[in-house]
Amino acid sequence: MSWMARILAIDRRLIFVLVGLGTAIPLLRPVNLPITVTPRVEAAYQTIESLPAGSTVLISMDYEPDTMAELQPMSIAVLRHCFRRNLKVIVITLYPAGPGLVEPALRLAASAEGKERNKDYAFLGYKSGFQTVMIALGESIRQQFPVDFYKTPLDSIPILRGIDSYAKIDLVINLTASSAADYWIQFAASRYHKPLILGTTAVMATDYYPYLSSRQILGLVGGMKGAAEYEKRMDIFGDARRGMDAQSLVHVIIAALVILGNAALMMTRKAA
Amino acid sequence: MRSGPLVLTFLVGTTLIALFFIPHHNAQTINAKLLEWATVVYAFALILGSISLWNTHARKIRLKSDGWPYSIVTLVALVVVTALGVGQGVGEGTLVSRIYNMVNSPLASTMFALLAFFIASAAFRAFRARNVEATLLLVTAVLMMIGRVSIGEFIWKGFPGFTEWLLDVPNLAAKRAIAIGVGLGAVSIALKIILGIERGYLGRSR
Amino acid sequence: MGAELDTRWFDPARTNLLVGLLLFLAFLAINILRAKRGGSIYIRPLAGLKALDEAIGRATEMGKSILYMPGLGDMSEVGTLAAITIMSRVARKVADLGCSMQVPCYDPVVMAIMDGVAREAYVEAGRGDEFKPGSVHYVSAQQFAYVAAVTGVMLRERPAANIFMGSFYAESLFLAETGNLTGAIQIAGCDKVTQLPFFVCACDYTLMGEELFAASAYIGREPVQLATIAAQDWAKAFAAAMIVLAIALSALGHPELGRLLKTS
Repeated sequence: MSWMARILAIDRRLIFVLVGLGTAIPLLRPVNLPITVTPRVEAAYQTIESLPAGSTVLISMDYEPDTMAELQPMSIAVLRHCFRRNLKVIVITLYPAGPGLVEPALRLAASAEGKERNKDYAFLGYKSGFQTVMIALGESIRQQFPVDFYKTPLDSIPILRGIDSYAKIDLVINLTASSAADYWIQFAASRYHKPLILGTTAVMATDYYPYLSSRQILGLVGGMKGAAEYEKRMDIFGDARRGMDAQSLVHVIIAALVILGNAALMMTRKAA
Repeated sequence: MRSGPLVLTFLVGTTLIALFFIPHHNAQTINAKLLEWATVVYAFALILGSISLWNTHARKIRLKSDGWPYSIVTLVALVVVTALGVGQGVGEGTLVSRIYNMVNSPLASTMFALLAFFIASAAFRAFRARNVEATLLLVTAVLMMIGRVSIGEFIWKGFPGFTEWLLDVPNLAAKRAIAIGVGLGAVSIALKIILGIERGYLGRSR
Repeated sequence: MGAELDTRWFDPARTNLLVGLLLFLAFLAINILRAKRGGSIYIRPLAGLKALDEAIGRATEMGKSILYMPGLGDMSEVGTLAAITIMSRVARKVADLGCSMQVPCYDPVVMAIMDGVAREAYVEAGRGDEFKPGSVHYVSAQQFAYVAAVTGVMLRERPAANIFMGSFYAESLFLAETGNLTGAIQIAGCDKVTQLPFFVCACDYTLMGEELFAASAYIGREPVQLATIAAQDWAKAFAAAMIVLAIALSALGHPELGRLLKTS
């Protein structure tokens, strides 16, 4: 078998080994490649940055452990930004496995920025129903969440005094890997006219470019790259920036394999 | 015999369409209630699903089909986690919550991580310059892969801007076109079902 | 109470959507009348749907089964409704040829409906006794648990054909690539634009976006069903014409049409 045919028939396990090495090596020996902040992420950053101190932000963290590699660093960066701007942060999740991810993110961000639960932020916990919850938040938050995640009645939480619906919320942020984003656009942005920022996985991000273009959303943070850009903008070195080296190398490996495969194909055709 | 479900589909479908245009708070309360009912129906359907799951795996164990020991694991997990959930609840600190966080979550993350390997092997196999369209696909894919990560900027300062243009102009144009087509297709199929033209979901092809 | 209570019986901001809906209904009515009066309606060939018959025939010859996956959507997703209608026709063909089919389901409501649809298809084919209870079964409502189970079926049972129809998410490449490993013929139809590239790369035939919704009409070839596809095309042509007109008028300093078309 010629070398061209060998390349074309390469065992996929070899490809898996190359990808594995491409992921592991940069994580063990970081290179810290440069990151440029793109306009979409900058728009998200500026939307939060422009809010006056004391404004209320509702963050819905709607993702589960399978997508936490992309969304957790984004959540932490966004939370830290809100805390740095001294905004009042209300966090909910519409996924049952969400609390297991929300709590560590809140704890990390709050301790990094010196913020206190109930005084600077509140975590209301998980509620099922997606659209039902989003519509109901327009009527009464307390109806949906009579107590927070730690079973504290909402009326006893200082930052929630006087806040019971979208009317008192200045910005909605949705960090999700699912179609929850579509529903937040439909209800929070379109029906209740609330400013909305989205954070999504890289694969989904391009679906929401039309909404950004039509100003139905004010910013879009897409995937680990978007999270890394946000961390860069915040001047913090988190998991996203750490992961970009690995992502870069794996992309190069895949591109090289594709080019090699095509070179072998062309040589095979010429030989024939 | 089938006119009952057809009439029900028509009534509920037209009601939901009408509620979309009626912002009156009473109408929106009805809308929210209907969505809640859907959640309740789903909860009951989970019982049906569990029975189906039990029967599938019990049959595999009985017939000693391929992989039948894993069916025992599945059924034991189903019974144990359900019993724990009913007994202790599913809140923070309960055994169900711990099992979810320590077993289910890492497993789900691992499966998702495997996608990176699959993308590499699929890209190597599929991105071949067999014709003009395939060549265009492969060139765009390679440019996007390099341009969207830090190394692209390292190679050429203009790379990120170029990939942003690719996403903002040709990609967005195509996405919008497909979205309009999908949207109209979705409206068409929804109207077909509401008006009773499409009855496949009832088990009738006519 | 938070927001002030809305007491309007019609939202004037949605007038353009109501007009659009009524126009679509008009297109539908006109084309159905055309179809009933014997007018012929042309639909361009869809390679993926033509391949369905080939796939089922191949599976029958090889004595292997068909694996039909209806996606991860629930009954509120239009992609799932399309998957169910396609499955009723696939099940009918499978019953006619005496082949076997497995349908692992993600959503229990979808499972219950698909089970009924499959049974009816077998009864219509005169082979009600041959329907295997349990061929349509629930797997899991967790994305990657579903993937693990289905890929396990693919690798153990090696079905001759894998048919992916409906709403798929991140698991699309997983399923398609594993199926590719087993050498099965693979036909996919997905309404989620983000997953289409993965199916295009790993499957033999892919129905893109609205082709999935046209599939049930295409397979059945009933005049009324084909008429709905024609109505869809008229609506698309109208939308395209309005967009071009709005852009042209805006460029000439008359943005009124563009404002009228805007939704809120």
